[in-house]
Amino acid sequence: MSGPSEAKPARRRRHRSGGATEEGVLYPRWFWPSFTLPASLWLAILFVLPLYTVISIAFGTVDQIFRNPLPVYEPWWWSGEQFGKVLDDSFGLYRHVYVHTFEYVVIASALCLALAYTVAYYVARFGGRRKTLLLALLIAPFFISYLMRMLAWINLLDTDGYVNKMLTFLHVVPQPIDWLSGRPSTVVMGLIYGYIPYMVLPLYAFLDRIDANLLEAGRDLGAGPARTFFRVTLPLSRPGILAALVIVSLPMFGDYYTNNLLSQSPRTTMLGNLIDEAYGSTGQGPRAAVFVIILMTLLLIPMFYYLRSTARSLETR
Amino acid sequence: MSEHVLSGPRSRALPGTRGGFVRRWVRNPWRRPTILATVTWGYIVWSLLPLVIAIAVSFNASRSSSSVHLFSLQWWWTDPSDSLLHDPELHSAVIQSLKLSLSTMVIAVPMGVAFALGIDRWRGRAAAGANFVMLLSFVMPEIILGLALFFVFSFLLKFVPLGTPAQILGLVTFQLSYPVIIVRARLLSIGKDYEEAAMDLGATPRQSIRAVLLPMLYPAIFASAAIVFADTIDDFVTVRYLSGPSTSEPLSVKIYSFARSQPTPAINAAATFMLGSTIVVGLVAYLLYRAFTKGQRTGTGLGDLATQF
Amino acid sequence: MRHVRDLSRREFLVRAGGTAAAIPTMSAILDACSKPGASTSGSSAFEIATPDHPVTLPMNGEPIAADTPIEQGATLQILNWAVYMWKYVLNQFVQQYGDDGIKFSGVTTFNNMDEGVQKLASGKIKADVFFPTIDVLGKLVAADLLQPLNHDLIPALQQDNWAAFQSPYYDQGWRYSVPYTIYTTGIGYRRDQIPDDVIHGMDNPWSLLWDPTYKGKVGVYPSYRDVMAIALMKNGITDLNTGKDADLETVRTDLLAMIDAVDPRIAYDASYNKLQNDKFSVTTAWSGDVVAGWEYTSPATQAAYEGFGYWFPEDRKGPIDNDLIAIPKSAEHPRLAHEFINFWLSFRHAMDNFSWNGYQPPQTQANVDALTKTEGLYSKRSSSWAAPAMYVAPWMPDAAVREGDFAIGYREGPLPADVDDHWHQIWSEFTAGVGS
Repeated sequence: MSGPSEAKPARRRRHRSGGATEEGVLYPRWFWPSFTLPASLWLAILFVLPLYTVISIAFGTVDQIFRNPLPVYEPWWWSGEQFGKVLDDSFGLYRHVYVHTFEYVVIASALCLALAYTVAYYVARFGGRRKTLLLALLIAPFFISYLMRMLAWINLLDTDGYVNKMLTFLHVVPQPIDWLSGRPSTVVMGLIYGYIPYMVLPLYAFLDRIDANLLEAGRDLGAGPARTFFRVTLPLSRPGILAALVIVSLPMFGDYYTNNLLSQSPRTTMLGNLIDEAYGSTGQGPRAAVFVIILMTLLLIPMFYYLRSTARSLETR
Repeated sequence: MSEHVLSGPRSRALPGTRGGFVRRWVRNPWRRPTILATVTWGYIVWSLLPLVIAIAVSFNASRSSSSVHLFSLQWWWTDPSDSLLHDPELHSAVIQSLKLSLSTMVIAVPMGVAFALGIDRWRGRAAAGANFVMLLSFVMPEIILGLALFFVFSFLLKFVPLGTPAQILGLVTFQLSYPVIIVRARLLSIGKDYEEAAMDLGATPRQSIRAVLLPMLYPAIFASAAIVFADTIDDFVTVRYLSGPSTSEPLSVKIYSFARSQPTPAINAAATFMLGSTIVVGLVAYLLYRAFTKGQRTGTGLGDLATQF
Repeated sequence: MRHVRDLSRREFLVRAGGTAAAIPTMSAILDACSKPGASTSGSSAFEIATPDHPVTLPMNGEPIAADTPIEQGATLQILNWAVYMWKYVLNQFVQQYGDDGIKFSGVTTFNNMDEGVQKLASGKIKADVFFPTIDVLGKLVAADLLQPLNHDLIPALQQDNWAAFQSPYYDQGWRYSVPYTIYTTGIGYRRDQIPDDVIHGMDNPWSLLWDPTYKGKVGVYPSYRDVMAIALMKNGITDLNTGKDADLETVRTDLLAMIDAVDPRIAYDASYNKLQNDKFSVTTAWSGDVVAGWEYTSPATQAAYEGFGYWFPEDRKGPIDNDLIAIPKSAEHPRLAHEFINFWLSFRHAMDNFSWNGYQPPQTQANVDALTKTEGLYSKRSSSWAAPAMYVAPWMPDAAVREGDFAIGYREGPLPADVDDHWHQIWSEFTAGVGS
């Protein structure tokens, strides 16, 4: 059959000779990589470089007068003094902060997942005629200021706020509970509240794509609703669950404002608070930078794991 | 037996199963999912109820932001110095929020879409590296990025003034990964067939992208634009670290700093106004999207948009 | 150890200033790009001022000439704490100089002095007036960030303000600064839970912050100097700038014990919002915060107004301080800045501002004893409060500051770097809840 080379006018020949990509689509070699250039440059200057600056500050020094951080860019002059001090503290005095942060994030992510999955599952499978409305309501939190909702919650959770009024009215609790008294449970609830919209939508998108026929097949083979769920739906949604967990739990590690808003107690300090506090104090700039590096290192491990699994799943397509 | 099975959601019980009402209810694969429905609606109420209260507070007749004492317009326009209409600080905050969101959206979405297109078709080590950096910027906690950018603008890129320029640069960096991820997911489901077909029919690479690929990506592009816009309006971590003079503090930062002191309900009024404008922008975007994708989609398109994530 | 040697070499370069040019490496280029504080002309550490050792700050150039015309069409830029200047008085200033086309768009704020200094030092904020605290004044002058004041342009200091401020210990001859407000640091308390006579009869009211009776209702400022100063006072240590290990260890033990004893909250608004609304029973308090708190009570009733009080030692032996106004070197409108300072120091405007923010100005025409009987302008104009509010509520006379208090009280001054680090370390342990 007459291939494209004969049908096309002569001026296109030079595109073809530029070397086709593996798929045989006739684009020159530089074509697609050039698309990535603006964003890559942007990230190189405004993402990679700042991270390097943070490292330079962590291993740097402070100026004599104001004790503001002074970055040291040459690796051979880096001083590990601050880093060593912070590491010591992290394993010693501040260990409970890491433990708390880990606890809160794990619990919050798990509860987030349970709730978000339920909601996403319902909307995806049983949405029916109300699906558009439900979707609009699920998308709404994105467009509403998180802070406004949080502030409203602070008022609701007050000792004489509506939550306590309702709880005592329904006799669920005998006395109003002091929610804002530095309870870990309030912080966890705050974390869930803040991050759950970011989990519901991707899970919905994923569950929506699951072929309904597979579920029908399961039923036809005699599995009840529960078994179909556990044997068919859940395994199929594993990549979605993983992605949603990563999207939510990794940023949660750096959260500091939930604590500041809902609990002003030293007992629920998270890692993000250590960073924010050090940033605002004289002479503590390098400390803040070291905490940042520690946080990043801790996050790189799950990040790598997530990347490898997505890469693998991409290759199988 | 088959008639019973095929009678669908209306049937409440399977004949032939023994046991009480509860057991039959549990066993019925076509029952209405009451528990799930309750949980879902409960979630929606939990999620949105504070908003209703926050809006109600903006119409408070007292100075209190904690309880609802309706009804007065003093925080909207009647109070001569503290109301939303008369307080220049709130004005500049709202304007700054809109400015930042629109600029970020306009810069981040095209760059992100281009990057997604490029990275999808490009193989090799460098591609994997760029991809990794992009994903890293996606899951990076914002405090790290905000702090790092503050340091870089203070020490290296000192020509960048703190305030709106620094904030836009920071916000775009943080939001860049959203369009990338959303568009990539869409690209994966589209595949290369359509472009190949177009080029077989004589289109140049550029033409095939513009006329074939891009229109198919509209749901993803619009969804990511909406997300970037909404996310930026709400952002206060990065923006707080990079803010300069008081006029460069958007509403989110003002709310955050007021949260530590005693806000007047005027801030609720400002936030409600912000919500209103966001809804308007969202609606406009949605209508544009429907116009752009006429003939391409089935139904309202909202479902399409939601599945882009 | 190797890294110590590297660090000291780096320090040497930083201190020697001009050596940066002599070293032909990347570091030179980057050094040239580094912060101004680093490679300034070999200025070694600034002199630390104490009341026993007053300091005359070096002149960084000449003040502007007295006949400089007022800048026309200027937009006034102020760098200050949030909620510290009454908009009404600011508007009056703008109106008074309306012929010169003065504009004003808002105060650029900072949450703590470190942030404020950082904003100024980074050169990214152009401020015409800045409101530093005493402990950073020396640093700012050493880093060449402030300009000397022209005394002829600020007659209000000599006419209306206490004479002591013409030569305070931290700035002899008032070369760079004028006083803004004076205040003491004491205890804010709920009068319905701790009657006035009880607290005045106690041996050591400072220890109220550690009293388990008020568990969960104790608030402290997120300010390391103030909270640690109170811990020092509680233990009878009167040197509020101490570097002694024994003293600091006592403070550390006490602060960490506080966490378990009372479960404290760390809040900015401990004393002007939470205390007034009965969220906290006992708080660390600046006198001005408690005085101005009446406006935040909700609902605004007389009972709510009378519900909170302020305690400070009767013998006036406690932390006392004042804030400053200064003009940055990079001010774009220095002449206007002088006018601004003069305006703000004059009797009428200073007292009006006082009626709003609760912080007393050192005005000679103000009869300190009459403060509890005189109603301020803000109260007269306020729409949310019907009953009159005096400058200082009659049941908190301790909040008024007298001229003689400065000779008796204890001042918080700048700390040497290593001592400051030690203080910060203790504070970090407290805020991170160590040992809880």
